[in-house]
Amino acid sequence: MEVLQVKQLNKVYKGKISHEALSDIDLTIQKGETVAVMGPSGSGKTTLLNVISTIDSPTLGEVKIDGQQPHLLEAEELAMFRRRKLGFVFQFFNLLNTLTVAENMALPLALDGVNPGEIMQRVEQMAGKLGISSILNNRTYEISGGQAQRTAVGRALIHRPSLLLADEPTGNLDSKAARDVMELLTRLNQEEGTTLMLVTHDAMAASYCDRVVFIKDGKLYNEINAGENRAVFYQNILDVLSLLGGHRHDFS
Amino acid sequence: MTFRKLALLNVLRNKRVYAAHFLSSAFSVMIFFTYALLLFHPQLQGQLESTSAAISRLASMGMTLSQILIFIFSFLFLMYSVGSYLKTRTKEFGVLIMHGLSPKQQKSMVFTENMLIGLISVAAGIAAGLVFSKLILLISADLLAIESGLRFYLPLKAILLTAGIYIVLFLLISRFTAGTLTKRDPLALLQAEDRPKAEPKASRPLALLALILMLTGYGLVFYFASDRDFSFIVLLLGVACTVIGSYFLFAQLSVWAIGKFKSKPSVFFKRTNLITLSELAYRVKDNATMLFMVAIVSAVAFTGIGTTMALRSPGLTEMSNPYAFSYTSLPGNEQEEEQVRLIGSELEADGFEYKMGSFSIKYTEEGSALARLSDYNGLAAALGYPEERLANDNQALGVATTLTQKANIEHGRRTPPTLRIVTGERDSILDMQKYIPHIIVPYDTGGNPLVIVTDEVFDRIPLQEWETGEERSFVFRVSDWEQTRDAANRIQAQLPYTDEAKYRLDRPLVLQWLESIQRNGLILIFSVLVGIVFFTFAASFLYLRLFTDLERDRRHYRMIGRVGLSRKELGGIMTRQLAFMFFLPILLAFVHSTMAFIALQMLVEFSVFGNAVILFAVFALVQIVYFLIARWRYVDHILRTKPGT
Repeated sequence: MEVLQVKQLNKVYKGKISHEALSDIDLTIQKGETVAVMGPSGSGKTTLLNVISTIDSPTLGEVKIDGQQPHLLEAEELAMFRRRKLGFVFQFFNLLNTLTVAENMALPLALDGVNPGEIMQRVEQMAGKLGISSILNNRTYEISGGQAQRTAVGRALIHRPSLLLADEPTGNLDSKAARDVMELLTRLNQEEGTTLMLVTHDAMAASYCDRVVFIKDGKLYNEINAGENRAVFYQNILDVLSLLGGHRHDFS
Repeated sequence: MTFRKLALLNVLRNKRVYAAHFLSSAFSVMIFFTYALLLFHPQLQGQLESTSAAISRLASMGMTLSQILIFIFSFLFLMYSVGSYLKTRTKEFGVLIMHGLSPKQQKSMVFTENMLIGLISVAAGIAAGLVFSKLILLISADLLAIESGLRFYLPLKAILLTAGIYIVLFLLISRFTAGTLTKRDPLALLQAEDRPKAEPKASRPLALLALILMLTGYGLVFYFASDRDFSFIVLLLGVACTVIGSYFLFAQLSVWAIGKFKSKPSVFFKRTNLITLSELAYRVKDNATMLFMVAIVSAVAFTGIGTTMALRSPGLTEMSNPYAFSYTSLPGNEQEEEQVRLIGSELEADGFEYKMGSFSIKYTEEGSALARLSDYNGLAAALGYPEERLANDNQALGVATTLTQKANIEHGRRTPPTLRIVTGERDSILDMQKYIPHIIVPYDTGGNPLVIVTDEVFDRIPLQEWETGEERSFVFRVSDWEQTRDAANRIQAQLPYTDEAKYRLDRPLVLQWLESIQRNGLILIFSVLVGIVFFTFAASFLYLRLFTDLERDRRHYRMIGRVGLSRKELGGIMTRQLAFMFFLPILLAFVHSTMAFIALQMLVEFSVFGNAVILFAVFALVQIVYFLIARWRYVDHILRTKPGT
C-alpha cells in the first residue's frame, strides 16, 4: 500500500528571477518503508520535503498522503491532518523551550484533545523505547543534543503518524549521537508501523534506510536500494554521490 | 496534559518576556485604582463640594478625563506589548502549527494566555493599590491642603470599578490580538528570524527638515507666549511642528548622523565602533517610531507635571492681587476706623508686619475709573514701587488693574496718549504721561487701565447719582502672607458679610491661595499620576523592544564573540547602544519641556525653573535606574552561555 504518492510535482519560485526548484518529480513510498532523499546543496531536496510536509505548496502536480491530498484541505482540516497523519523531526530539534521533555512529546496528543491519562501513559511508554525516561521532567535547555533529538523523535512518533518526515535529523549531532538516532528512527519505524522519509547530507544516516533517492537540479537523478550489508550500501551511496558531481566534502 | 494547560505553562514559564508586560499592566491597574480610590472617597467628596460646586465639578471631570486617558493609553500600550510578545514567538507558532495547531486553537491559546496575564495583573494591581492606599491618602491630604487628613476606608466601589473596567479591557485586547494573528504558512514562521535586512538609509534634506521643524516649533511657542494674544492656532502649529520634527529626528537625522560617522574612517574603524555604529543604525531605524513615541509621551508628562507644579506656587495668586487683605468701607460706616484697626491688630497679634494703603475710585460719565495720585503713591510705597508726580491738573497716569491690562500696557496696546473725560459740566482732555504695568490698585476697572489724576482733579469730580458718598478701600501688604491663615479666619469671623453691613471684606489672599491649591492639588495629582503612567509605559516600550529581539541578538553576539571580542568589549558595545536608546528620547523630552517652561516663564512672574530642575532630576534618576536594570538583565541574558551549545 502506498503511503506517499508524488506525481509530476513542479515547484517554481516566482520573483525577479523565477527559479524552478522542482520539476516533474515522481516518488512513491510504500507503507513501512524508510527512504532517504539526497542531493547537493540547492538540488531541491528540502523544497521537496517542505511540499510533502504541507508547509509549502506545489506549483503543479499532486501530493497524496494516505490517499488524501493535503494541499486541497481547508485550514482547520489541514491542522487535523497534520496532527494525525504527519510527524516531523528537524535539524535544530525545534523543541518548545517553555515545555518539559514529557510535555514536548505530548504536544500532538494534547493538541488533538486526547485525555490526559492516556497521554501520560503513551509518553512514558515512548520514553522507555527512546531511553529518555529519566529526563522526562527536565526542561529542553537542560538536556544534550542527542537527548533533544530523541525527544523530537518521540514527539514525531507518539501519535503514530502515517508518515514521518525528517529534515537533516543528524545534521546537528556528533557521529555517535547521529548513529543512535538513526538506529532508533529505523527501529521505531518498524515497531510503530510508520513510514519514514528523510532528507540528509549524511551518507551514514542514509545508509540506515531501505532506499536512497538522489536529486539533482530539481530532477530525480537515481535511486538505489539497500542490500544485505549496510557497509556495502554505504559505499554505494558514496559512489553515486561522487558521480553526482562536486566533491565528497560536500556531503559530509 | 491538556491543550489549555499548555497555554498556561507557556505564560508561567516565560516569565522574563512577560515580566515587563505584566508589571506595566499591573501598574496601570494600580494607578487607575488610585484614581477610583480618591474619586469615591466619602470625605474628599464632602470637602470638595463645600469649597464650591464649580470646583468639585471640575475635579470630578478632571478625574474622569484622566481615567479615560489612562484607559486609552493602557489599551494602546497593552496592544503593543502583546504584539511584540507574539512576535518573539513566531517560531514557536511555526512549530505548533506543524504539529497540527489549528487556527481556532491558536486563537484560543492566545486568548487564554492574555486573559490569564490580564486577570493576574488586575488582581496584583488592585492588591498593590490597597497596600499603598494609606500612603496615597496621606500624600493626597497633604497635596489637597486638607488639615484633618483623609481616613482609610474599604474602597469596594473602587475595587469593583477597576476590576470591571480592566477585565473588559483585557477581554477586548485578548479578542483583538487573537483575531489579528497573521495567517502565514509555517515555513515563513520558522524562517522568520533569519532574513537579512536592507541597510538603513536617511535623506539629508529630511534630516535637515527635522532641525528646521523643531526650531520653527520652538519659535512659534515663544511667539505665542510673548505676544499674549493667546492665539490657539499658533500654539497648535508650534506643537505640531515640534512633534513632526521630533519624528524626523529619530527616523532621519539620527540615522543620517550615524551614517556620517560611519563614513569617517578615523571614527568608524576605531576598535568596536565598527560594530556599535553599524548596529546602532539598524536599531534606531527599526525603532524610530517607538523612540519618537517615548520622547513625545515623556515630554507631555514632564510639561504637564511641571506646569501644574507651577500652579501651586503662591506667586501665581500674588500676581493678580499683591495684598493679603482688602477691606472696603461703604459710605456712612461709623466703625470704619475701628474695623481697619481690628485687621491690623489681628495681624500684629500673630507677629506679622504689614504695610497699609488706601484708595477711592470715582467714575466719570464716559466710564473711566479715576483715583488720586496721593493714594497711588501710598500704595506704591507699600509695594516698594517708585513715587510718581504730575506737574499739573491736565496730566495723568494709567495703571494696570488686571493681568490683561498689564499685558496690554507691556505691548503698548490700548494706551492712548490723551484721554477725554467728562465730569459734570467740565469736559477736559488729560495728557497721559505714562502707563504703569504693575498691579498696584487691585480693583478691576474693565478694559481700560485705572487713571491716576491729581488730588485736586479727583476731588472736583461730583458723585454719580447712585452714589451716596465715597467708598474707601484699605489694603494690607504682608510679605509672608502665606502663613496668615489663622489671622484670616479670625478676621473673617469678626467682619462677616451681611446685607446690612456697611463694609466689604474681600476673601483673604491666603484663603484664595489655599482654595486654588485644593483645586490645583487635584489637577496635580491627576497630572502626576498620568505623567507617571505615561513615563512607565514609555520605559516599558523600550524594555519590551529589547526582549523582543533577544534571541536574535544572542546569536548575533555569540557570532561576533567568536571573531575574538572579549565579554567586556561585547558588554561595552551593548551598553553604548542601550544608552543611546534609553537616553536620546528622554533628553529630547527634557529639551522640549525646557522650551515649554521657558515659554511658561514668560507668562508668569515667579520662577518655574526650581520645580523643573527637581522634576528633571527625579525622572533622570528613575531613567538611569531603569537603564541600569535593563542593561544588566539584557547583557546577562545575551552573554550567558547555554548548556549544551
